[in-house]
Amino acid sequence: MSLLSKVKEAWVGLRAGRVTLAYPAAPAPAPERFRGRPIFDAAKCIGCAGCANNCPAREILVYDVCQEIRILKYLGRRCTYCGRCADVCPENAITMSREFETATPRIGDLQQRIELFMSTCQRCGRCFDPPSKLDELKLRGYRFDDLENERWIFRSSAYLEGQPVVDDVPLEMD
Amino acid sequence: MKAREKERTLRERFGAAIRRTDVTSPGRWCLYVAPEAIREVCRFVFREMDARYVISVGMDDRPYSGRFLVSHNFAFDRDGILAAFLAELPPDRPEIPSIAGEVPAAGWAEREFRDLVGIEPKGHPYPKRLVLPDGWPDGVHPLRKDHAWNEVPEDWDDEVTFRFDDPPEGCTVVPFGPFHPTLDEPAHFRLYVEGETVRGCEYRGFMVHRGIEKLAESVMSYNDIPMLAERICGICGCVHNVAYAQAVESAAGIQPPPRAEYIRTVMLELERLHSHLLWVGLACHILGFDTLFMQAFRIREPLMWIAEKISGNRKTYSLCLVGGVRWEITPPLAAELRGILDRLEKEWNEVAQAVGRDRNIQRRTRGVGMADARLVKELGLLGPVARAAGVDIDCRRDHPYAAYDRVEFDVVVELDGDVWSRVLVRVREVFESIRIIRQCLEKMEPGPIQTPIDEELLPGRIGLSSVEAPRGESHHFVVTGENNRPRRWRVRAPTYQNLQGVPAMIRDQTLADMTIALGSIDPCFSCTDRLETVDLRTGLVKVWSQAELEQLVRARKSH
Repeated sequence: MSLLSKVKEAWVGLRAGRVTLAYPAAPAPAPERFRGRPIFDAAKCIGCAGCANNCPAREILVYDVCQEIRILKYLGRRCTYCGRCADVCPENAITMSREFETATPRIGDLQQRIELFMSTCQRCGRCFDPPSKLDELKLRGYRFDDLENERWIFRSSAYLEGQPVVDDVPLEMD
Repeated sequence: MKAREKERTLRERFGAAIRRTDVTSPGRWCLYVAPEAIREVCRFVFREMDARYVISVGMDDRPYSGRFLVSHNFAFDRDGILAAFLAELPPDRPEIPSIAGEVPAAGWAEREFRDLVGIEPKGHPYPKRLVLPDGWPDGVHPLRKDHAWNEVPEDWDDEVTFRFDDPPEGCTVVPFGPFHPTLDEPAHFRLYVEGETVRGCEYRGFMVHRGIEKLAESVMSYNDIPMLAERICGICGCVHNVAYAQAVESAAGIQPPPRAEYIRTVMLELERLHSHLLWVGLACHILGFDTLFMQAFRIREPLMWIAEKISGNRKTYSLCLVGGVRWEITPPLAAELRGILDRLEKEWNEVAQAVGRDRNIQRRTRGVGMADARLVKELGLLGPVARAAGVDIDCRRDHPYAAYDRVEFDVVVELDGDVWSRVLVRVREVFESIRIIRQCLEKMEPGPIQTPIDEELLPGRIGLSSVEAPRGESHHFVVTGENNRPRRWRVRAPTYQNLQGVPAMIRDQTLADMTIALGSIDPCFSCTDRLETVDLRTGLVKVWSQAELEQLVRARKSH
C-alpha cells in the first residue's frame, strides 16, 4: 500500500535525530585512536630510519651529512596518516596526534626536520628492531635521500640496472 | 578431496595437456595446462563442470622462469575451490588462444593483458584497446618487468582521442559521461538510442588508471601494500586490504591468529553496513527521492563514528598487515558497537518496512536493468547483482575466509533479476551483517592479533584470495617475489565484471532508466585529470590538457 508506506517514510523522517555536528562553530574533538598528523620527538629519536623504510608513501627522508650528523625530514605532503611510522618506532618517538585541521598554503607548516647527532658506530640501521621480518630495513648504511627535491632514493631493483636511480641522480647500485 | 576428483576428470579428458597440478591447500588449486589446449580446457571447466569465471592474469615471468605466464582463474563455488589454470608461453612470441569466445566473461581481462603485458589473445572477438590511453604507443607494455614504473614512452601523445565504433543503423548517439550528475567517477558510455529506447552502447573507461599494481610490484614492500590496496576504493577499501593480506598469507602459508580473523570479519561487515546504507541512499537520490537519501545517510553516520574510534579513521581503516591486524577491539568499544547495532537494526527495520511497499520506487525499478541467471553466468556477474537474479553465490559462505566459517548467516537471494530485487537484497543483507558482527563480538576470545613472521617469504608462490565486498567478490592474485615484495599482484574488483554486464542490462530499455540501472551495480570507477573552463563573457570553451594543467600547478607552486 503506497500511501501507508509514504506515511511510514514521513514518520521515519519526522522522528529523525540529528547527526550533523556543529563543527566548525563548535569544536569536534577526535577520538583517542585518531590518526592525525604525526609528531616527531627529536629527544627520543635515535635515527634508526625504521620509519623511513616502512613509510608506504615514502614521506620520510634520511640524509647523512657526515658520519656524525643525520637529518630526518618529514615531508607532510602525501602522507596518508596510516600510522605505520609510529608502529615501528622502537623508541616511541612518533605519535599520531589528533590534529586534523592541516590545510595550509605553506607546506613548510607541516614539515618537520630533525638533525640528529649520531655516535661513531654509524647506527647504520642495525639498531632498528623490526616487528617482523617483513618490516626489516632494506636500506642500510649511509642514506642520501634527495632533500632538495624531496625524493626518496632507494637502491633496489625498483630501478633497472644501468639506469639512473631517480631521474637525474645517478647512484651506485648494490 | 574434491580438487583431486576434478583433476582426475580433467586428466581423463585431456591427458597430457594437463602438465602439472598442485593443490596448495584444500581450497586452492593450480593447474599448468599446455597453451594450445587452454581454450578447450577452459570451455570444459566453464560449461561442463559449471565453474564460475573469476579473472585472467597476464604475467611477465621472464626474469625468473624465462617465460610469460597467463592464469585463467575459476571458482568452483559449490566445492569451495579457487583454481588457477596457468599456461606458460615462450618469451619471444607471447600468444595464447583467446577463451573469450567460449567464456564471454573473459572479454575484458584478455584485452587488459594484451594492453599491459603484451600477450596476444589469438582469436579474441573484440580486440580493442581497453586500459591504456589512446595516445600510448603500440608495443609498449607497462606491466612488463623491463618497463620501469616511472617510465613514460617518448612518443606518447596526449592529444589522441578515442576512436569510437560506428553506431548501428538508425540509431542516434547519446554520450553519457565521463561527467554526469549521477556518476561519482568518470566513465564514458556512448549510448545508441532509437527514439527513447537504448539499443546498445560502447564503453570507454580506465580514465583514472593509476598503475597501482605496477607500483606495488616494483617499489613497495609486503607490509606497505595493504595501505595502498585500501586506496583502490573509497568505499570498500578494507575489503582490498584484507584480500591482499589473505592472498599473501595463502601464498606463504601464514595463519593469522583467531582473534585477528574475528576483527577482520567485524570490520568487513561494518564496511558492508555503511556501504549498503550509502547505496540505498544514493539509489534513492538517483530516483529523485532525496528524503530517504538523507535518512539513509543519517542512520549510517554512527557506523562511521565507531569505525573511527576502532581504527582511527572513518574510512581508511589501515587494518591489516600480513599475518594479522593492527587494531584491537577493546571491551568498551565492543559494548559501544553493540549499542550502535541495536539502534541501527531498529531504525533500518522502519526504513525497510516503509520502502518495501513503496509503489513509487517499485515503478521506477521493477523490470529495469534486467540481468537474469544466464547473463550472470555468461559475464561472471557478482554480488547483489547475481543474488538478485537467483544465483546463490557468496564468497563468505562458498570460500570461507577470516571467521566466516564460525558464524551463522543466510545468503539473501531474490529471483527477479531487476533493480528492485537488488534493492531488496541489499536492504536485507544489512540485517545479516548485524547478525554476523554480534556473533563475532560474542565468540571472540582474547589473544594475540598479529602472528610473528620470523622468516622471509619464499619467492614464486601463488596465492589466491576472494573476499565478498559489498558489491560482489573481490579477488586478489599474488605471486610472491624477491626484495620483500610480490612479483605480481592482480586485483579484480567486483565492478570489473559487473560493468561488463551493463550494456546487456540496459539494452531495449528507456534512456531515463540508464542511470538507475548503472547505479544498481554500485559502480566504482575512480579521479580526474582534466579540467574545462568556460569564459562567461565570450562563451569560449577551453579544455585544459594534462600538460597545461601540470604547468599551471608547477607555476603556482613556485610562488
